[in-house]
Amino acid sequence: MVLASAGTSQRIAEFDQVQLPVEIALRDVTVSYPLSSGNRKTVLSNLDLDILAGEFVVVLGETGCGKSTLLRLVLGQEFPTSGTIQVDGKQVTRIDSRCGYVPQKYSLFPDRTMIENVMYGPENAHSGWFGRLLPSFWKFRRTLRRQAEAQLLRMGLRASDFKKYPHQLSGGMQQRVAIAQALMMKPPVLLMDEAFSALDPATRASLQQQLREIWLESRATILFVTHNTSEALLLGSRLILLGQHCDDSQESNVLLDMPLPPFADTLSQRKQSVEFQQLRDYVKRRTYGPTTGSDDHQTILDNYERRETA
Amino acid sequence: MASIPVLGKLGDIQARPAKLWTQSLSWVLFLIGILTYVQFSIARHKENPEDRVVPSSAQLIQGIKASILEPAEEDDALDSNAGIVQRLTHSMLWKDTASSSKRFFIAVALLIPAILIGLHMAVFPFAEAFFLRFGLFFDKIVALSLLPILFIVFGIEEWSKIMLMVIGVGPTMMLDTYNIAKAVPREQIVKAFTLKSSNADVAYRVVLKQILPQVINSLRLNLKPLALFLFAGEMIVSTDGLAYRIGIMRRHMGMDIIIPYLLWVAVLLFGLDALLRFVNRRLHPWF
Amino acid sequence: MPCIDSFTPAGTLKSLAGRHLGTVFQRLSLSLFPVILSIAFLAGLISVTPAEAAAPTFTVGWSVYAGWNPYFYMAKSGILKRWADKYGIVIKVQRFDYAASLDAFVSKNIDACTMTNMEALDMPAAAGVDSTALIIGDYSNGNDAVLARNNLTLAQLPGKRIMLVQKTVSEYLLERAMDANGLSSQIPQLRLVNTSDSDLVGAFLGNKSNQIAVTWKPLVSQIVEQDHNVKSLFDSSKIPAEILDLLVVRTEVLKRSDGSGIRFAKAISGAWYETVAQLAGTGPASEQAISSSAAASGDSVASYKEQLRTTYLYSSAKAAAQFSESPTIKQKMDLVRQFCFRHQLLGQNVASVNDVAILYPDGSVQGKTDRVRLRIDSTYMRMAEQGRL
Repeated sequence: MVLASAGTSQRIAEFDQVQLPVEIALRDVTVSYPLSSGNRKTVLSNLDLDILAGEFVVVLGETGCGKSTLLRLVLGQEFPTSGTIQVDGKQVTRIDSRCGYVPQKYSLFPDRTMIENVMYGPENAHSGWFGRLLPSFWKFRRTLRRQAEAQLLRMGLRASDFKKYPHQLSGGMQQRVAIAQALMMKPPVLLMDEAFSALDPATRASLQQQLREIWLESRATILFVTHNTSEALLLGSRLILLGQHCDDSQESNVLLDMPLPPFADTLSQRKQSVEFQQLRDYVKRRTYGPTTGSDDHQTILDNYERRETA
Repeated sequence: MASIPVLGKLGDIQARPAKLWTQSLSWVLFLIGILTYVQFSIARHKENPEDRVVPSSAQLIQGIKASILEPAEEDDALDSNAGIVQRLTHSMLWKDTASSSKRFFIAVALLIPAILIGLHMAVFPFAEAFFLRFGLFFDKIVALSLLPILFIVFGIEEWSKIMLMVIGVGPTMMLDTYNIAKAVPREQIVKAFTLKSSNADVAYRVVLKQILPQVINSLRLNLKPLALFLFAGEMIVSTDGLAYRIGIMRRHMGMDIIIPYLLWVAVLLFGLDALLRFVNRRLHPWF
Repeated sequence: MPCIDSFTPAGTLKSLAGRHLGTVFQRLSLSLFPVILSIAFLAGLISVTPAEAAAPTFTVGWSVYAGWNPYFYMAKSGILKRWADKYGIVIKVQRFDYAASLDAFVSKNIDACTMTNMEALDMPAAAGVDSTALIIGDYSNGNDAVLARNNLTLAQLPGKRIMLVQKTVSEYLLERAMDANGLSSQIPQLRLVNTSDSDLVGAFLGNKSNQIAVTWKPLVSQIVEQDHNVKSLFDSSKIPAEILDLLVVRTEVLKRSDGSGIRFAKAISGAWYETVAQLAGTGPASEQAISSSAAASGDSVASYKEQLRTTYLYSSAKAAAQFSESPTIKQKMDLVRQFCFRHQLLGQNVASVNDVAILYPDGSVQGKTDRVRLRIDSTYMRMAEQGRL
């Protein structure tokens, strides 16, 4: 699917007009915990965030800036010290199937083969413990297996590997299976916690391309956490940059929250774009400290738009 | 292969012994043990031809025959033209093995609740809060010292011995299962919840299934303490059983029965361990 | 194989030296390996020979029992040392658990041991260790008893669980009880539960469903005191002189060529009869003897005196010697040896009761003359009687 080259502001305007629902809403969220020394360490404070449906939000930042915490809050694994988090209008109180989850590693069940791992979710959704004894379940399993195989093939895995166990797979293959496992449930929200950080560059590039295609096709809301600036700029439609928190201030540590232009059709072209590189340098500078007034992302975005519309 | 280069390889970590060497070396210690015993036996028999403390091979063979073919002293004698199968099934060894095994396996079956408690402790925070501290403490109670209480509560028949085993080994299994289950990566549990699992699904279909091979290995290691408690119980109060027979034979230095019994117990435990290892590998090819 | 170091002059020297040393060390340790192995093997081959000290040393093992506690007093009070010095030897006294003392005796780690006549037959005699009974100290005259709840009678015993230490005098007592009441045919119907003496009291008292136990004092006293429903059906006073308590020494020790064995026998007999005289007498020495003997087992003086009451002590050497030369002892020993043979205590494969023979002071042998394993020797008791020690 080829994207038409549209200007950034035009695309943002499209979003506004269509009135997309707010998928994930964080209101005045603070996360802090007491240290052994008696002080409190604040990871996030007074965070207000609205993520619309269909956005590919990339959360970028150095280690310890709270990006994983943010993801875990949306997931339901962590609770805020104050504030609320809502996904699809309902408050998040526990981890459930509203969100799909792809962690950095260890997410596959080691006692199941690749295909069984992927079939796990829909099987659970179909019937409980006693429903499994019924023949209708086994019929369902047959169709499910075909769907699972199709999904795995789409993720770039080979049919000869389907009966392998996770410990026999390479890191890249494991992550592909993990993503497939999450996608089988067709979740409205997909949470990815440094999912590609443990992979080698070639595999990473391949998976990035795959993820982008999945997003374009399904338009799920994706919250992607990474510490890699290039990756963030490549994949996202919106960038949130988090910085280290100053313990005493009450301000939120969101350094940047900007939409990202589509840049180019393919990821490799995207990387070569001038604005991409400028933005990347800018974001890196911004991470380590405030920039001067003239050095601003808006300038770069405006330059891009001007060139596109020209 | 010249002998000097081989000697040089004995202290080499990178050595790759030929198959012949690994096979034959693994029997050397057995051989040394047997030869040492035979030397002792010959020495003692030279002084005292009727010595029973270190029985000679002839006495041992007699002892083995007596255990396998003769009924226990407290049972009735068989008539002389009983078939070999009948003699085997009425023999002392058979009777003792049967009664000891019954106690042993009932105790193993009762370890299953301990394993389940350990699993629940690791997965459910409330269960952990409830059980952990007491479990850690109870583990440190030396089960043998509870024996008088067990006799009072359960009587002197089978159950006091079975409960001795369960109280002795149960907490170990529980805590070991707890540690194993705690080591399951949190990511999998979170992922399972996002894949529409209920609490029971996560506890049993995700965690228990994964940890089962490690739990079986833990059980394998605990076979020896189980046998130890069984023997302690049998030596103190019993009417039959492998350790009972050893205790009785000890009263008149019947080493020609005791030594075959010892070796038989070792063979049984070794066989059980091998069986568990085989079952583990078959059921869990991914481990 | 060349290593990178060897390409520099200094490295060459270092690597050559290192390799040479390494090889030497490897060769050393590897050639030591079979040497160590052979040493371990040879150590196993060397049979244990008793080392003879400058002054011959003898060890006497005793265990807790009313009739054997005086050995503790004997050693503590210095009586033993005096007698040992008189004969130019050293006698040590060591306390054991009963079964452990028998083990030590049979494996020749101690020279003499206190034991009952039944064990003297079972353990050393049946294991081929020729033993001599030097002193007949006492017999159980009520120290062993059959206890039962709920007014059971002996006739009602078959079929019920009986707690006792199997293959000891307890089982013997029980069978004799059945014999004495014409119930011999019922003996195979008895259900015996082998119970260790250390747990017997607790288990019996703790659970009322345990109705019958056979044991010895002070356990008997403990049970009867704490549960008044328990009565004694039969005790060893009804079979006098059948459960004898002896001091047994290895015959080969006695027959030592340098005569030290005989000196030992004289010394220990002399010490024993002096001790017993004090024990059975009156006055401060007697009080001392009794309290010391009671302390040997951690008993109170009252409890120990209670045990002594049901122990027939041969306090005079004359009585002991006379008994050992009488026909009574032969009758009693016959009963005991028949019991042992019936229960295969003489050995799993012993064909006949006569294969473990007993030699009496008058030279008569019970059993095959070429298979004498237990000797009753009245020589030293007679010497004590005549004051010739």
